[in-house]
Amino acid sequence: MDRAEVGALVQSAADGDAAAWKSLVDGLGPLVWSVARSHGLSDADAHEVYQTAWFRFAQHLGRIREPEKTGSWLASTARHECLKLLRASKRWTPTDDPQLLDRPSDDRTPEESVLDSEEAAAQTERVRMLWQEFESLGERCRQLLRVLISSPPPSYQEVSAALGIAVGSIGPMRQRCLRRLRARLEARGTTS
Amino acid sequence: MSDMSDRHGFDDFDGSGDGPPGGEFPADDWDCGLLEEELRQAAAILDPVPAGLRGIAVDAFALRDLDARVAELTFDSLVDGIPVRGESDPPRMLTFQADAVTVDVEVTEDGLIGQLLPPGPARIEVLSGPREYARLTADDLGRFTGEAPPSGPFALRLRTGREVVVTEWLRA
Repeated sequence: MDRAEVGALVQSAADGDAAAWKSLVDGLGPLVWSVARSHGLSDADAHEVYQTAWFRFAQHLGRIREPEKTGSWLASTARHECLKLLRASKRWTPTDDPQLLDRPSDDRTPEESVLDSEEAAAQTERVRMLWQEFESLGERCRQLLRVLISSPPPSYQEVSAALGIAVGSIGPMRQRCLRRLRARLEARGTTS
Repeated sequence: MSDMSDRHGFDDFDGSGDGPPGGEFPADDWDCGLLEEELRQAAAILDPVPAGLRGIAVDAFALRDLDARVAELTFDSLVDGIPVRGESDPPRMLTFQADAVTVDVEVTEDGLIGQLLPPGPARIEVLSGPREYARLTADDLGRFTGEAPPSGPFALRLRTGREVVVTEWLRA
């Protein structure tokens, strides 16, 4: 989302415009969700991170110092909650097994079920394969790409806030990760 | 995760280098953007924001509270505490502060214990998202107890004689 647009929407929402708030939820919600997903949390924890970020934003509405940077504010808030939950789960369940933490969720979304019933079987297969290869990338690449592919595309500032990495390192990392993904797809003989 | 450094706070971000990820890239990178876009569509299909969750965020507009002062979290045993040896499930200790007002909260499975400072009576609402809440009362010494907040993020809204203070949302 464009910064100026975000700034204006935050201002309107603070003045009581519910439609502006809804636009913010639709424009920045996928970014917040991607931050929770990229940290390998359980579904329940990811839901709580998403909620906490939005509740806090509502609470601070009208007090945000730089409204145009709200995307980064939300991403950063979500990230800190993720790190806190990871720390908590580590304390309570003494598993440090990265395999376990990295395991993709077994839950099938309604969208996946719909996908099953769609006629475009080849397309479906392509999407599934792409996602499968994406999920088997290394943790750093998966984390970075998951945030980058939220929709609408986030700015590098927002990605930086979401993952705690320098803005300057995002471009090169992005290229490397996408190259790696392409190589995996080529190995399966499925480049588009 | 653990190797991710934590030194970049929100305030470190400046306006430089901002721009759409699909902006300027070397020529060799042409299909890089295509692959990313394809992946973006896959994410929208296979891992979208759950509809119910989006609804909760939309409803959260009701939580804006322009008259209350926000008491920020200044201590969280989960982050700042030293684990007690042998204790597998220590109580969660939280401190919130808004100027001169301090709220100490201890959350265990059994319930919630709190102390308002400076000590004094207050009416307290336990908020659990935009809709549900429970009510508590702080006695003349500023002490209050209640049931443990339900799962999910919670906040306390405290009405003392003089002002309304609401604690920063967080998960217990």
